Amino acid sequence: MAPELAIGLPAAGSLCAAALRARPKAAFATAAVLGLGGVAAMTLSIPGRASAQLGISLAMSAESRSLLIAAAAALALVVALAPVLVERATLLAWGLAGLAGMAAIAAAPSLDLIILVVLALAVLQAASAGSRPFATRLRGPVFAVVVLALAAASARGDGPPILSRLAAVGLVAGLSAALGTMPYIHRFEPEERTATSPIPWIGFIGPVLALAVLARARDLVPSEGAVFGALMIGLGLLNMLWGSLASWRTEGGASAWHYSFMADWGLALCGLGLAVVDGQRAALLVLYGILLSRLPLYLWSRQSLREKRPNDRPINLLAAAMLAGSAPFAGFAARVLLLRGATQVYWPLALVIGFGLLLWLAPSLRLGRSLGLPRGRQAWGVGVALTLNVVIGLYPQPFLLLAGL
Amino acid sequence: MSVAAAFATWLGAFFIVLSEGRRGLALGLALTTIGFTVLVWIGGEQLAAGAVLLGGAVASIQRLRRGREGWGVMPPGSTSRLVLAIGAGLLALWISTSVMTGPGATLRFAVLTSLAMMGARALSDIQPAAVLTVVAALALSVAVASGMADTGPGPSPYFAAGLIALGVSAVRVSGSDGA
Repeated sequence: MAPELAIGLPAAGSLCAAALRARPKAAFATAAVLGLGGVAAMTLSIPGRASAQLGISLAMSAESRSLLIAAAAALALVVALAPVLVERATLLAWGLAGLAGMAAIAAAPSLDLIILVVLALAVLQAASAGSRPFATRLRGPVFAVVVLALAAASARGDGPPILSRLAAVGLVAGLSAALGTMPYIHRFEPEERTATSPIPWIGFIGPVLALAVLARARDLVPSEGAVFGALMIGLGLLNMLWGSLASWRTEGGASAWHYSFMADWGLALCGLGLAVVDGQRAALLVLYGILLSRLPLYLWSRQSLREKRPNDRPINLLAAAMLAGSAPFAGFAARVLLLRGATQVYWPLALVIGFGLLLWLAPSLRLGRSLGLPRGRQAWGVGVALTLNVVIGLYPQPFLLLAGL
Repeated sequence: MSVAAAFATWLGAFFIVLSEGRRGLALGLALTTIGFTVLVWIGGEQLAAGAVLLGGAVASIQRLRRGREGWGVMPPGSTSRLVLAIGAGLLALWISTSVMTGPGATLRFAVLTSLAMMGARALSDIQPAAVLTVVAALALSVAVASGMADTGPGPSPYFAAGLIALGVSAVRVSGSDGA
């Protein structure tokens, strides 16, 4: 029953928060209780064990479950230490809706159901008030849905071998379009609310979606493992270079953060593309970093970005070091594992990745400064995010074990 | 029967691609729904066919109530969309009958043509009512595409798609962007 509860309770929490909007305290309390219940169900679910209480066989992999727990922790951190001007009940409602969708994606038995959940989430997000037009907000996810569905259809059709190769290309392209990474970057408006912007796709839903799609894709076209790997590494390098350079050179501070997510995804895609355990471990640590550190820091930097108050205090330098992946933060362990994995597969690749890693420094300093001078809840939040990242960096083994790696 | 159903699906997608008015969009979605329902029914999934029919029918009726007035089929400047609709149909026909082999060519044609045309429509300059129609048709297409698998997907994708089509028909887009 755990997967059903992991989906149903956060969804119910989100609905309650939306229904009780007129009474924010009641909305917050109800949603928080239901959300915590959902997180408990996720934590207690046994990886790989299927449950069919609703007539659908639902099961979560250990990797997906670990990222779901990380996403729930990120949501709790962001809601508990939200900036004063942000309405917590609304933030929680959006977060729980996303969490329910992620749990559904993680537990879905087939790629088709994952695609349908992505479509439903996209409509839900696009239907809320936002600065980008409705059709524009749906464009990226709908394109992803079409490409993924066409790829799945190609994989299932009998015919020449080129069909399964095209399916592999389509699956990777569709995943990239859903995340909003190169070459399918979603249109980003710096002033738009985070919940309705492309950030939830690349920074919140993306990690679970990527693992779920790749797991189903490998089952769908098992003979094309090499094509998958090559495409993922190619896209990873492209995102790494483009994301870090654009994050450094772009004018807008919010856009710089958006590109920095892309750069991190470059690392994760490279790790997922390497068919060795070290690569998978590196990717998982990067995804933990995106969920537990980069996303919360982005949210806390919004006010400072609006007020244009960059700062150069030690806390900003620490945040910059964390974002750059220096020791002892989680990014460092991820980078070491990635280089080791790349060396095992094809050593010149490690050189290319190593060169790409140098490009993180300048944009990270810029992003760290953009946090301004954190005060009150924001200061606590930055402190917690830094501490969590150090803990994962120093003791990655328990977090990797949680994911079965 | 399955050939007629596949043709109805293409014709429905054709109307969705070429229409701006609520009647044209509703007709397109209704034709697509009928085509998919028949194909799923022929495949032996009666319950799933019911879910597709219910979701698509409610979405079509709701589409008649919101969006731009009239039919709006082939407004000025829609030549490129006309070419797209015919070209996508021919390409899907070639792929489903010549490139892909084995039984189920009509299902393959219906799925490929609908997915490709809905994707192309979503990427074009489009008003919210048309986007919502595209999403409903897309959800049904994804569910029907799952029927191409060797092992039956069960009714769950069809129910999920029916629910999405129902939900989409209730969506109100706020502000000046609204339908």
